[in-house]
Amino acid sequence: MRLCWGAFVRVVGLVAAGLLAGCGGGGTSASDASVPDEAPLSVQATLGEQIFNDVSLSASGRQSCASCHDGDHAHAPANALAVQPGGPLLDQQGRRQTPSIDYLAFNTSFHFDADDTPTGGFFWDGRASSLQDQAGQPFVNPFEMANADVADVVARLSRASYAAQFQSVFGADIFSRPDDAMRAVKLALSQYQLEDADFRQFSSKYDEFLRGNVQLSDQEKRGLALFNNPDKGNCIGCHPSNRGADGSFPLFTNFTYDNLGVPRNPAIVRNQDPAYFDLGLCERAELASRSDLCGAFKVPSLRNVAKRQAYFHNGRFTTLKDAITFYVQRDTNPEQWYPLNADGSVNKFDDLPPQYQLNVNTVEVPYNRPLGGVPALSDAEVDDVIAFLQTLSDGYRP
Amino acid sequence: MKPTRPRILPMKTLLAASLALAVGSAAAQTATEADLGRRLDELAAELAKVKDQLAQLRQAQPPVAPVAAPAPAPAAAPTATAPAAPPPSYSGSLLGPGTVLTSYGEINYNRPTRASQNTQIDMRRFVLGYQHRFDERTKVVTELEVEHAVSSADDPGEVEVEQAYIERQITPVWAARAGLFLMPVGLLNENHEPTAFYGVERNFVETAIIPSTWREGGFQLVGAFDNGVTVQGGVSTSFDLNKWDATSSEGRESPLGSIHQELAQAKGHDLAVFGAVNWRGVPGLLVGGSLFTGQATQAQAVDKARITLWDVHARWTPGRWDVAALYTRGTISNTAALNAALIGNPTLIPKSFDGYYVQAAYKVWSHEDYALSPFVRWEQFNTAKSYADLGPGLTPEAARAERVVTVGANLQVSQGIVLKADYQRFRENADLNRFNLGLGWSF
Repeated sequence: MRLCWGAFVRVVGLVAAGLLAGCGGGGTSASDASVPDEAPLSVQATLGEQIFNDVSLSASGRQSCASCHDGDHAHAPANALAVQPGGPLLDQQGRRQTPSIDYLAFNTSFHFDADDTPTGGFFWDGRASSLQDQAGQPFVNPFEMANADVADVVARLSRASYAAQFQSVFGADIFSRPDDAMRAVKLALSQYQLEDADFRQFSSKYDEFLRGNVQLSDQEKRGLALFNNPDKGNCIGCHPSNRGADGSFPLFTNFTYDNLGVPRNPAIVRNQDPAYFDLGLCERAELASRSDLCGAFKVPSLRNVAKRQAYFHNGRFTTLKDAITFYVQRDTNPEQWYPLNADGSVNKFDDLPPQYQLNVNTVEVPYNRPLGGVPALSDAEVDDVIAFLQTLSDGYRP
Repeated sequence: MKPTRPRILPMKTLLAASLALAVGSAAAQTATEADLGRRLDELAAELAKVKDQLAQLRQAQPPVAPVAAPAPAPAAAPTATAPAAPPPSYSGSLLGPGTVLTSYGEINYNRPTRASQNTQIDMRRFVLGYQHRFDERTKVVTELEVEHAVSSADDPGEVEVEQAYIERQITPVWAARAGLFLMPVGLLNENHEPTAFYGVERNFVETAIIPSTWREGGFQLVGAFDNGVTVQGGVSTSFDLNKWDATSSEGRESPLGSIHQELAQAKGHDLAVFGAVNWRGVPGLLVGGSLFTGQATQAQAVDKARITLWDVHARWTPGRWDVAALYTRGTISNTAALNAALIGNPTLIPKSFDGYYVQAAYKVWSHEDYALSPFVRWEQFNTAKSYADLGPGLTPEAARAERVVTVGANLQVSQGIVLKADYQRFRENADLNRFNLGLGWSF
């Protein structure tokens, strides 16, 4: 296998940077996050870009990575669907909201922190250990690109317009070795995400504010203060907004997991089955015994959150206003968010079986308010936080 | 029954009376006595120099036999040999010609009177050090410290190199130091051994405002003049404001303590300059001051910021009295810009912080090596005295100054061993009121 030295150095640097970010406790990038250089992509990354956008690699022939990870929407869906369609006929509904894959170069593999906090990993349940591992799974997911197996993927790849280029990089006989070819696909996709600065732009208004190039408006400042305030929004508890000790820029996630008790989403067809529950972390075989993790899902980065059109793992909310108001009113006014039982009581945490409802985070601000109490944020304060969150969208132009 | 709260006014009165008595006693000294005292100091310095020369001679001699030598005579005072060096606070034990082992330790018992469930006994620190004299004019001084008994990933302890510097006597007056050294600030930082201060715990002003034990890496000159003036000055590493954790309370507990670097892969873009002048021209009297200033964002933030800390201090030990006073103030520039992205967090970077204390001790009883010295100390300190304006609703309120009275006694059991007991009363946060016991040693 040929390997471009310049690309190798860049990749090693990024991987090392990601590891360092993990060692440092996460939550910030591993550099000073000046706007990334527009260096030319390596040959592997160039192939990765072509694979990323190639709909012919799916059983339907109409779906590529980019179909769900749209570059104009921070590599997240361009629509407000709770879950994206897939399968051979694009009529199969996936299980979870498609997350953005931006800024994942700074993520780590899944592990338990020193205080037993689950951290890192890719997908909502951290089941993939790396970008490469993550990149390979949708190809054979029956609800996504729906290839029968790896050989099926490689057969389609061998017919792609860039197949010869793929062979020139990974060997003329690469298509005769499907497992090796699939590893090469994952490597190419991973390197594309690591090398292309579009996946880590650090070009939001907030980044410019941190660089001292622009001021936040009064409302944005109020929103930032509420976001940080441990007695108000306390968003900073899981979504760090401060620069790191090395000057690195915040990633707005600490890569941990939380159980929010998000309401069940009727837009997901599976939820018509009352016995069906998406349990998140504890669905992984190796974590099956950790019932305390049932209902926990990955904390996503809030960078580009205003570009999203569906929020939480089940896409239950479609506006930031609803998402944030849910946070602060979930416990004070649960009737606003959950269905009522036959006796008129609120069926709180209705997307979890009763035995796991105690796992829901009810101790931290803003979830710790009593029923009927005053929410941690007023309606106007929610608007202030939204104004701040809108400063996290990449591509800011003064 | 309603608990009776200790009254502060009598405490202040006692302190004032103590200081007044001390002043009166000292005023009774004649000029002849002062001269005699100074002469004694000079003789002590000469004796130390002779001891040092003796050590050099021993080092120059070939070993007589490869057998263990008999235990050396009681320790010499290694640091006193260099006239430019500040007075030593411990003597050490000779390991061999030119090499001295030093050590100190503290075991503390703290019992909060309103939260006895938080009572704690701690091997606060255990320190081993050595000083080795390479030649008549050159030595290395080191200290290695273990805090909280056990240091591992799952334990609270820390292992730290507290000092590691080379000192070279350039002239009879001037010496040069290079390496990791304690900053010449206040009364406690360079003399922080448990036998050198009153009270189980180090005073708050010289831990919360002056981040004792405060050390930096760098270079300094130390000049000791015949008139009793000691001058220190140099260039050192600075603080790192990028380490400021606005989500934590550490910066509120000690602004500079939360961002010091301790030469642990210290960022070296921004250096600092420092200086100190101390005068010991009258026996028993020390008057001095210090200044430290340096940039502290290490070119890793858009905005630059300068940290400045200064202090003035005095200590007087006339007869059985030992009185001391210190004031210190720190400032951080450009905090409005630094705090702009931190608004809403619980601990923003303060613009200024300060503190002072007055302390009086009196040796009421002594017998052979025993000496009992009750003391009283009044402290006031504020780790967030002011904040730069961030706009309406966003600028934090300045903290209220904490005031602490400490009443207790040091019992010297032997030279270098001390038992301590005291009670501390906090005016702002009475939940911190506590009773303390301590065992300390130093040699």
